[in-house]
Amino acid sequence: MSDKPRWNLAKLDKNERINAAKKFTTTKEIKASQIVDFYEAIIKPGDKVVLEGNNQKQADFLSKFLAKVDVNKVNHLHMILPSISRTEHLDLFEDNIAEILDFSFAGSQSLRIAQMVQDGTLKIGSIHTYLELYTRLFVDLIPNICLVAADKADHEGNLYTGNNTEETPTLIEAAAFKDGIVIAQVNEITDNLDRVDIPGGWVDYIVQSPEPYFIKALFTKDPRNITELQILTGMMCIKGIYAKHGVKSLNHGIGFNTVAIELLLPTYGESLGLKGKICTNWVLNPHPILIPAIESGWVRSICSFGGELGMDKYIRARPDIFATGRDGSLRSNRTLAQLAGLYGVDMFIGSTLQIDYYGNSSTVTAGRLSGFGGAPNMGHNPGGRRHSSEAWQSLVSSDDPLVKGKKLVVQVVETFGQGVTPVFVEQLDAVNIGRKAGLPAAPVMIYGDDVSHVVTEQGIAYLYKAENLDERKNALRAIAGVTPFGMSSTKENVDVLRQKGVVAYPSDIGIKVTEAKRSLLAAKNMEQLVEWSGGLYEPPEEFKCW
Amino acid sequence: METLKYTFQAEKRVKHKAHVGVVGSANLEVIFLPTNNSFSTMDISSKFEGHSAVWKSILERFFAENNCLADIEINDFGATSGVISLRLLQALEVANLDNE
Amino acid sequence: MIMNSFVELTARERAEAIVDKGTFRELLDPYENFRSPHLLKQGIIAQNDDGMIVGKGTFNNKQAVVISMEGNFQGGGIGEVSGAKFAGALELALEDNKKGIPTQPIILFDTGGVRLQEANYGLLSISEIQAAIVELRNYQPLIGVIPGRIGCFGGMSMTAALFSYLIITKEGRLTLNGPEVIEQEAGIKEFDASDKVLIWNTLGGANRVATGYADYLAEDSLEDIVRIIGKCIGLGIPVHRSTKIDAYENLLASINPKENLTPQGLQEYMKRHGFLEKDYTVKKVISNKKDHLQKQLPAQVIHSRGRSWFNGIVGKDYVNKSKIDSVMCGDISLNGEVARVITVVPDENSYYPRAKGGEVGLEQGWEIARCIREAMREDEGKVSRPIIAVVDTPSQAYGYKEELLGIFLSCASAVDAYASARLAGHPVVTLIVGNAISGAFLAHGLQESYIISLDDDKIVVHAMSKKSAARITKRSISEMDKAAADVPGIAYDIHSFNCLGALNHLIKVNNHDAPLNEDINLIKAELIKGIKTSRENGNTLKYRLKTENAIIYRALSIEVREKLKELW
Repeated sequence: MSDKPRWNLAKLDKNERINAAKKFTTTKEIKASQIVDFYEAIIKPGDKVVLEGNNQKQADFLSKFLAKVDVNKVNHLHMILPSISRTEHLDLFEDNIAEILDFSFAGSQSLRIAQMVQDGTLKIGSIHTYLELYTRLFVDLIPNICLVAADKADHEGNLYTGNNTEETPTLIEAAAFKDGIVIAQVNEITDNLDRVDIPGGWVDYIVQSPEPYFIKALFTKDPRNITELQILTGMMCIKGIYAKHGVKSLNHGIGFNTVAIELLLPTYGESLGLKGKICTNWVLNPHPILIPAIESGWVRSICSFGGELGMDKYIRARPDIFATGRDGSLRSNRTLAQLAGLYGVDMFIGSTLQIDYYGNSSTVTAGRLSGFGGAPNMGHNPGGRRHSSEAWQSLVSSDDPLVKGKKLVVQVVETFGQGVTPVFVEQLDAVNIGRKAGLPAAPVMIYGDDVSHVVTEQGIAYLYKAENLDERKNALRAIAGVTPFGMSSTKENVDVLRQKGVVAYPSDIGIKVTEAKRSLLAAKNMEQLVEWSGGLYEPPEEFKCW
Repeated sequence: METLKYTFQAEKRVKHKAHVGVVGSANLEVIFLPTNNSFSTMDISSKFEGHSAVWKSILERFFAENNCLADIEINDFGATSGVISLRLLQALEVANLDNE
Repeated sequence: MIMNSFVELTARERAEAIVDKGTFRELLDPYENFRSPHLLKQGIIAQNDDGMIVGKGTFNNKQAVVISMEGNFQGGGIGEVSGAKFAGALELALEDNKKGIPTQPIILFDTGGVRLQEANYGLLSISEIQAAIVELRNYQPLIGVIPGRIGCFGGMSMTAALFSYLIITKEGRLTLNGPEVIEQEAGIKEFDASDKVLIWNTLGGANRVATGYADYLAEDSLEDIVRIIGKCIGLGIPVHRSTKIDAYENLLASINPKENLTPQGLQEYMKRHGFLEKDYTVKKVISNKKDHLQKQLPAQVIHSRGRSWFNGIVGKDYVNKSKIDSVMCGDISLNGEVARVITVVPDENSYYPRAKGGEVGLEQGWEIARCIREAMREDEGKVSRPIIAVVDTPSQAYGYKEELLGIFLSCASAVDAYASARLAGHPVVTLIVGNAISGAFLAHGLQESYIISLDDDKIVVHAMSKKSAARITKRSISEMDKAAADVPGIAYDIHSFNCLGALNHLIKVNNHDAPLNEDINLIKAELIKGIKTSRENGNTLKYRLKTENAIIYRALSIEVREKLKELW
């Protein structure tokens, strides 16, 4: 007779680990100085460890000391990292503490990852979008250990994440309800929290880190560095896309092209009489560039992925625009904002480093395995959408009653990147880089058939109107400037496409190229943003020149 | 650094001289001078070497679209083709303003 | 609601915007095509106006000349053409004022100082600009604006320190040595060039105004800047900062260089002592420095060429007229008249330790100025005695406190004194016996109406040490040496410097380090000749552009001035 089946192995395992940790603490609090010993007691070889670090907030104390454990005690870890931004994230693999990596985005570490994959120091599970990675935590990447960062905790383990809630609740939920161990580093342990973002019952341990967690003002861009060409493409987008399609709900990518658009709304947008007609509801980090548009009444709501450094006071003073807690500060949520950006908005607009002749684009170039973060979530047409809107409906190009509307997915680029590197290429670098890294599919950020518009300084290609692949290619050619691809375009072809409205040059939509001047920007530098905010915005030091 | 010289047949004489831009990072300076010739001259100094094909393409397009007659001087500190085209148009606009 | 950003504008737009609407007339505009041949020779793209905009117009209906620097072109650096445009415009404004045509100079700074790719051309130009300013200041208040983004650095910070009024924004920075150079020369512990907060707290407009090194903090707005310029013109010619020797020497003596001093601390200190009050007068020297000197062991005398030549010329039985050991000052009898000799030497006990090695530091600049002005006072109503600067200085002092306490002003006070002495009739003669570098040379040696140098290959004349210059221009030292073969202005040797025409005479002697009696006699004869020539030339710097070498190698400096005069 066999043993009775047992259904609580995970629970028993968790209890065992907690017992092993009792020599360090009998409460939820761990001393920072004991973290390495604690890790060695509570983490088992082969564990799946999810470590918080998106491209803003980093559980950097926890990651730094995870890389210091004794490899004889802790090894073969399977790391799940939404974003790889710190050197120790990869040191874990070099030092044989970890073995397999599942991730979404790798900014500054992208070159090193590509090399490590080639050298065999690291095995990639998959490269995901944020949403994929978050959801897999609930399906087949269920974490044994969950390492997160919060602003404050009380002695019960209740967490306050304030402006930067970001992905913390999602990561914790995945572990807490499947008998994983949740460890949070906090900047401060206090008796009273102004608000509870994550209930203490979901959290096993808290540790007060000697330094506050690292955070980057990722979306803040100095308006000083906006170029006339970005202003030109910005004007083209506003008039030729936003106004044409009546885009009200949208997500802006990161970068100067969209920053230019945000600062043109109160000036150029106003002069076109578009206030209230476009750009009213945003899925966007609460970054300071949008302050002039908010202050001049363009914006009704903003749903945020994370916080943005320096914006706290401003956000507290504008609760009608932002989601705020009882304490007055922002509540962000990366998972829900990603979902909102996927389903809830009519447009995604962003930039890229390379576009091939069919409109596929990627930021994976020159040996950099950077991943995509959230762009593909926002930058595709969700087949499951059922609600309609003016913008969504405007992309229907047939009378068939069963044809659905489409999300606008817009890519803005300058025809040449830095110096003389063409952005339009016959084959994306991603294809070869993916092959070398042994990925089953090339790391494409946004697929050509999802892209509805591409904008360059030469013109707009309304790809959604293209009747076939050839026309799509010709439309891209027509706006590819003097790149080799662009030079293969013929005047006859271009004339037909302009006639059909598949391509528009600035003059076709009543824009004079020489009108693109910096004087059109509602704020030209950081100080003017502070001025717009009535002194409420407090720029981080790295953005201050005074 | 590379110097390039071109001539282009053109017809629309510019009204007066014009100057735009700065020889700063990824930027350039463009000067238009009226001419009595029946062709425009281009005198280019550029930071990057080996890109005469790109220059030629930019200029061919510019003259095909604008057909403007002038002696043009360019001092380029590594501008992209988009910026170069924009400066040329800006200079042309200034060269044809009525109030000078 | 949002003001018109001034920083945002190009140099030309700034110049045009600052004068009365519709009155701006540019002189030597880009169509005149004065590109820098020196940059082109080094494969660097040049700009048709060389980054220096000169124009005339009116300001509140008063005739004005506006000079505006383009920070986006080569960091607003001063080369031969741009320097000549600046100097030439000031010289013409001076002539106007002398003729009774009031012409108000307004200078819009945005410059890293000497353009390192033209090095000594820039250095000479700046000394000529400074000479013009000291004279022009007697007729009109000199008004300078430092809006940013670059600010005002290097030799141009010394220039700015000679101004009657400085208007600066929070973003503007005013400093002799840039953070990167201090870090290179004195180490990251002395100054971390990546620390933006430290940089702006120390060198930024807010602190400069709060500590009196600049006068008015302006918003980044055209309207605000115009308003303050108008106010300054109304205030007329003030007592110039660069002449307030007692006050600043007292300040330096009362601070303990070994203690930590924050910008905030300095501001509070100045407030407490009423240092910035209009009627501030020095009551007594605060004792910090006295304590320091009493505790020091007698310093070992460090050999330097400056000291050897000074001793040789002045003789053994002299009393140092300077209050500090690193500045030597004595009077001698030369050809039947009294002459004053000044040099800077190494001093292990130097109160400010960054100036131990013969550098012109905070104290040295002011002390040189005091020695000169003392002679000027004593000679009032009599024959103005010649002043002889013996030059052997490795550089200006590099340090955090040096910048915080305004080393650019200290150096400027020496410039001011030398130039004022010339204007008062003192022949001022330079004798180069060792290195003559950068801000130190500007302060001590380049305001002279006659320059002699030993003919010695070891002598280095330059705007910046090779290491720092390589870091700033992002070139290797061998690339710089290669470029120097084509452009004499950027070579470091005295023979190349001689090409530029500012040297009146190169003299071969027997022993450069320890001069023999015959060497001293030879040099004394040369000095006498120099003094005579200087007097004949009216004790000005104008001789520089008339020498045979200048006609060849500074042809552009001459041509730019001539052309400006035509267009004036």
